[in-house]
Amino acid sequence: MTKLVLTRLGGMVLVLLIVAFCTFVVFYLVPSDPALLACGKPCTPENLALAREFMGFDEPWWQQFLTFLGGIFTGRTFGTGATAIHCSAPCFGYSFRQNTDVLELIGGRLPVTFSLAVGAAVLWVGVGVAIGVYAALRKDSWFDRAALAGSVIGVSAPVYLVGLLGILVLGFQLNVVPVGNYTPFAEDPVRWAWGLVLPWCVLAFAHGAHYVKLTRSQMLETMNEDFIRTARAKGVKERTVVGKHALRNVLLPVVTLTGIEFGSLLGGAVITERVFSLPGLGGLLIEAVHSRDLPTLLGCTLFAGFLVVVANAVVDLSYGLLDPRARLT
Amino acid sequence: MYSKRILAAALVGALGVSACGANDQKAPGDAAAKPDKGGTLRILSESRTINFDPAKSQSLAITTLGLVHRRLTGWQNAVGQPAKVVPDLGDTGRTTDGGRTWTFVLQEGLKFSDGTPITSADVKWGVERSFAPAFGGGLGYHKDLLGGADYKGPFEGKELDSIETPDAKTITFKLTRPYGDWPWIASTPAFAPVPKGKGAEPDYQEHAIASGPYQIATYAKGVEVKLSRNQNWDGSKDQVRAGLPDDIVIQLGQDASVVSQRLAADSGDDKYAFGASFASPAQLAQLQANASAKSRVVTSKSGAIAYLALNTQKAPLNNVKVRQAFQYAVNKSNYQIASAGTAALAGDAATTLITQGIEGREQFDLYQTKPEGDPEKAKALLAEAGFANGLDGLTLVLNKSNNQTEKAEAIQAALARAGIKVTLRSLEADAYETETNLADNPTYDLTLSSWQPDFPSANANIQPLFATSEIGKGGYNISRYSNPEVDELIEEAQSTVDVGEAGRKWAAIDKRILQDSPVVPLIYTRNSFIHGSKVGSFFIADFPAYPNYLQVGITK
Repeated sequence: MTKLVLTRLGGMVLVLLIVAFCTFVVFYLVPSDPALLACGKPCTPENLALAREFMGFDEPWWQQFLTFLGGIFTGRTFGTGATAIHCSAPCFGYSFRQNTDVLELIGGRLPVTFSLAVGAAVLWVGVGVAIGVYAALRKDSWFDRAALAGSVIGVSAPVYLVGLLGILVLGFQLNVVPVGNYTPFAEDPVRWAWGLVLPWCVLAFAHGAHYVKLTRSQMLETMNEDFIRTARAKGVKERTVVGKHALRNVLLPVVTLTGIEFGSLLGGAVITERVFSLPGLGGLLIEAVHSRDLPTLLGCTLFAGFLVVVANAVVDLSYGLLDPRARLT
Repeated sequence: MYSKRILAAALVGALGVSACGANDQKAPGDAAAKPDKGGTLRILSESRTINFDPAKSQSLAITTLGLVHRRLTGWQNAVGQPAKVVPDLGDTGRTTDGGRTWTFVLQEGLKFSDGTPITSADVKWGVERSFAPAFGGGLGYHKDLLGGADYKGPFEGKELDSIETPDAKTITFKLTRPYGDWPWIASTPAFAPVPKGKGAEPDYQEHAIASGPYQIATYAKGVEVKLSRNQNWDGSKDQVRAGLPDDIVIQLGQDASVVSQRLAADSGDDKYAFGASFASPAQLAQLQANASAKSRVVTSKSGAIAYLALNTQKAPLNNVKVRQAFQYAVNKSNYQIASAGTAALAGDAATTLITQGIEGREQFDLYQTKPEGDPEKAKALLAEAGFANGLDGLTLVLNKSNNQTEKAEAIQAALARAGIKVTLRSLEADAYETETNLADNPTYDLTLSSWQPDFPSANANIQPLFATSEIGKGGYNISRYSNPEVDELIEEAQSTVDVGEAGRKWAAIDKRILQDSPVVPLIYTRNSFIHGSKVGSFFIADFPAYPNYLQVGITK
């Protein structure tokens, strides 16, 4: 068990190192100079050299990469004297664009993305699985056909289109949900939830469609298995057959998909956050791309990679809870 | 039965919610009404950061930074009048040696938001601070003039010898050469005071000490900035700021199209808001159907000059006749359509380098033709220059982040009519900047660009774009135009202190440069902004093409 966990941890670190390395290399391959944004106007070669030196972009790329990795363990200092900027360990970079340590930036944006992801995931898993199960149990009924048609729309329609339509119809024409306001949970939980209703629904509509299709097909397959027939033959109530025997098997791929999608979403629901003006990690990533903010970009990419890796590990471990055959001994 | 009851309850609930109205919509008020003192103004910004550190800011004197920081001098801008330099913290300066030494006297009784007096030493500290490598990114027109090539800011214990503060109210700048526009330079962000000895921290922008009508109450990174009234600001000593609202909330990271829809809907708090970004042509087209929203769109009369730059150092564009042919080959009418759908939204066709709203500007057209151009005349000029078969293999570089493809294609098609074949090459923003502003021997022949002066002087229109010193090395002379005669004229006009005389000199330089045709002026681009129905005094003067934030207030 310990060996397995250590192997997984080693693998996680290796994946993250590769992600960091690739991001670094990609940004050195494209013609980008992050020092330009701190150069001022007019940007003379002397000012540019000073900005590069202060930001640490005057070193060769491999040295910058090693300095970045070193900063995670020992912290970093940019500049000297009274104006020196210290980024304490674990330092995942310093955004000169936003004058903040990247980890602090991520920490500030994470609650927004987390709020969005959790609410949407609860909706899409809950509603998606319920519709999928019900559609499978009523195969070929009008409900089944409607669910399938709805899920095809959900899978096909781009989130930005659904989001903008939602804003236009529900926000402005019917005027039933607020638009463009995010209130932190600690400030006012009701306004927090109310402000997120539309983004939750839009995300859930797009993601939930996959769950409807997945749950329905898995359920149909499982309900034809021998053990279901056996359970029914033994006189087990239909509710128990569906809820305990069938659903438990159906949930295995659902959990896998949920874990991976939730992990990815925590890394930033870029389009949804943009459309709904939510100040989350997706927005941070886009701003970093637009403003050549390499430290923030690297930090966000690494963090998103970390979440996906962790989500995968959690999914692997949760298999044991749902399927005794997969339990670690 | 049970499920039907739930459905009914849900419907009733939903109707109840609808009746409450999440975005409370009421009839719009009179947008033209005069604003009163008080209320909370909201600014909806696309940007996720607002930089309140004067050393790092490139903000115009009439927008966000001006709400919090005063500067040594200010701008007075009004509709139908050229912008004027006016006193702000100090007077507009005086010179006794033809513009090399400038002395400004501060007003009595000025205070920072923390109650401490604002002295000339604080202004000096603010300027010195802008030289520190840790506080780069701002407007730096003053740096070269103050001879600070080796100066790295006051935090290393050194002062800038070219700035003297003989007493708490007087500040003297000794420049490296005579410069008539120094009072305008003193209106740039670096001339905002920072209390001496303070501002070493990198996040000074989030708690900067205010000298203007507002101070930073809260700064939620990427989300919102709340400004509250600075109780130590005295309106009677400030002629450029009305300071009407009690509070100002700047909502950051707002999607531009959603902002446009919100302001068009004019509901709830959005009635007291305006959008900081331009309304796009698509958004403006949508707003046409909404009479209320349409009445709340403010469009500038003029704006930045959009132009086609011709690389004058590369054959065949090093031939003046060839360059003059481009003046007739372009189709400004099509360019307007490609820019914004209609000429009215895009802006008037441009024929001068000095933009409207600038003192001394003269209207002229050296290459009179139809808005569609005159390809035959262009062909004739090319033939005179020895290119009877037209030109082939020219490259037009574009900045990808400026959405210029359609405009470039319009130029490409227009030039093709005169036998000029152009290939478009799109570059990422950094690569574009490196190629056009930093490279020693760039390969491009043509490029599209636009320019709005950083301060309202013809000097800021002409010198950055056409002086030899601005070629490469980070300068903006992307036509790489070099003419010793023009350089001399620019230097002479820059050293002229009398505004009227300087204006006449700049107008003459404008004509002289266009005789050499290093660029083809295309249009003076218009900007449109939309505001809520309770926002008053929302106007765009002749310069710059932005609303004056310092005058905006809330109506009843």
